[in-house]
Amino acid sequence: MANLHIDQIAKSFGQTQVLRGVSLHIEDGEFISLVGPSGCGKSTLLRIIAGLESQDSGDIQINNTSMAGTRAADRNLSMVFQSYALYPHLSVGENIAVPLRMRQLNTLQRLPLIGPLMPGARAARTAIQQAVTQAATTLEIDALLNRKPGQLSGGQRQRVALGRALVRDPAAFLLDEPLSNLDAKLRVQTRTEIAELHRRLGATFVYVTHDQVEAMTMSSRIAVMMSGEILQCGAPDVVYDDPDDIRVAEFIGSPKINILPATLQAQGQIHLLDTPLQLFTRKPHDSVQIGLRPEMIELAPAEAPAHDTRYAQLTGTLAHLENLGSELYAQIEVPGLPRRLILRAAPRQRSALHMGAPVALRFDTTQALIFDGVGKRVRHLLHAPDASWRQAS
Amino acid sequence: MTRSRMNTTARQQRNTAWALTAPALILMCVILLIPVVIATYLSFTNYALGNPGYDMVGTQNYEKLLTRSSYARMFTATFTYVVVVVPLSVGLGLGAALLINSLTHLRDVYKTIYFLPVMATLIAMAIAWEFMLHPTIGVINRTLETGCGTLIESLWPWLAYHCQNGMPLWLGDKRYAIWVICFVGIWQGFGFNMVLYLAGLTSVHRELYHAAEIDGVRSGWERFRLVTWPALGPTTVFVITISCIRAFQVFDTIEAFYPIGAGPGKSAYVMMFAIYEKGVKQNLVGMGAAITVLFLLFVMMITLAQRWFVERRVHY
Repeated sequence: MANLHIDQIAKSFGQTQVLRGVSLHIEDGEFISLVGPSGCGKSTLLRIIAGLESQDSGDIQINNTSMAGTRAADRNLSMVFQSYALYPHLSVGENIAVPLRMRQLNTLQRLPLIGPLMPGARAARTAIQQAVTQAATTLEIDALLNRKPGQLSGGQRQRVALGRALVRDPAAFLLDEPLSNLDAKLRVQTRTEIAELHRRLGATFVYVTHDQVEAMTMSSRIAVMMSGEILQCGAPDVVYDDPDDIRVAEFIGSPKINILPATLQAQGQIHLLDTPLQLFTRKPHDSVQIGLRPEMIELAPAEAPAHDTRYAQLTGTLAHLENLGSELYAQIEVPGLPRRLILRAAPRQRSALHMGAPVALRFDTTQALIFDGVGKRVRHLLHAPDASWRQAS
Repeated sequence: MTRSRMNTTARQQRNTAWALTAPALILMCVILLIPVVIATYLSFTNYALGNPGYDMVGTQNYEKLLTRSSYARMFTATFTYVVVVVPLSVGLGLGAALLINSLTHLRDVYKTIYFLPVMATLIAMAIAWEFMLHPTIGVINRTLETGCGTLIESLWPWLAYHCQNGMPLWLGDKRYAIWVICFVGIWQGFGFNMVLYLAGLTSVHRELYHAAEIDGVRSGWERFRLVTWPALGPTTVFVITISCIRAFQVFDTIEAFYPIGAGPGKSAYVMMFAIYEKGVKQNLVGMGAAITVLFLLFVMMITLAQRWFVERRVHY
């Protein structure tokens, strides 16, 4: 087990810059997810950590030792590939045994037919066999040991690939979208299993995925990557509740966060659809955007006091309703907003929602996420104008 | 009522199916099956083209095949050629493919160079080889002669012997003729195997090499054994089959080098040449047919062996 330190890694393929100085420190035993849309460089970063790709600049340290000039075979890492990359001619047991055979047997002992007759080979082979059986038992694939990968289902192949990774004791596990070839139901199940495996082994995991749900549910920390940079790295709830960047806010969370254009008026007061909100910025910005998660918007209760300054009011018409059973997602057309607002409602509110009917909404301005014109988060908002605002401007 | 209608539909479908496959079936019968049947029948006769009739001679042709010394030489020459040319042309093809595959530049140049002998007309190439192998003015013996009187001569007894007793008559010597034919066969054939292997190599999954590296595979040889060679299994079976069939069919080199007589002491008297000599030149159609049937048997055995191999090793 080990910690991993990624220091200013940059990589270009021809003219395309894939990674722009990425840095990240991963503690021993952490489960880190690298998440981002396809083409953001997350797989490349994982392959650079593994040593399968070389970086243009920067350094990878495993257990505080620089890996510069160390080839992948000598980095003592395990990797699970998206395609599983099982050797098709070897049985499940032989596949799982490969990492041990390569490390614990010498060239002569590995030879077919005469290999087992070499001195020391018998004991080493027995030890390998035991390790394989143990790994297979952990993953409940001990009944499949004699089958070929071609005779297995996708989920079973995925387990064999995991088995091959955990049969030895690597410094860290690298997983490259291991669930993306599974069907939805199996994915949910395997997700739990991998998370439990991580808890049991206490090993360092680096997990690459484009699926934010996987990242949210499994990781100790999430590193959100976009266009070759890590935009934010933090615990799942921090990344969700307190995003640093509008791209992070938009990527994490399903349904997507609502982004509402707003304007900044005198004294830094934020106006939404020409209505002033009780929200003030400390510094002037060209423009601002309001980010509202679907659960931040609620249907305005009829008996609510009309002018509670904490809440901002909006009215629109119900354009579409999605019923997921446990919750409802309503799409509301609000005049003046470029996109429909999505809000989450409880099933008991179903009776209040009629297609095409006007809907009154409100949201708590203290919860709203404010971003500036380029998408950076604006923090330290005030609920009354700042006395020093004028000077600052 | 419903049942009869279903029967009618089924019958119509069956008739259509037969009608659609009929052209292919007829062609297969006319150009493949019937000639084989006729050849088999003729192999039990003493038929000759132009004769008004023929007699059934039973297994007499086959008995000759198995007893006469000239046919014993035919089998020796044929099997020597197959046993030498197939493994070497397959091995060299694989080696060349692996080397070319590992290049980043000039791939196409090397591919073209190795593939040239396959594309070239063998008759023309044979003439070039004949010049090169000429006992006195050939480039090969000239090169060997330069080694006479040097250190190489003292290290290589074979060369020392020939420096004293004259350089070998490559094509005219019974001891060398079949090996020269084999050499030309390998030279001409391995480029074709290389192309097949290059195609096979493109289907090897890239991620398997990465998995092997992560699993601790350090040497190129181990990588080849763990990933490349198993992945090339189906290609290898195909390449060996094709090479065997081509080796059994060798004819043009021998015809070009020895228009009469199939080499010194019939040392290069391969099956195809025997079929041509008996069936066409000497007009002993019955005998030619018997050799043809034997030839078809060999080819069929190879094909069956290939099918068995392919079905046994099915991955993914």
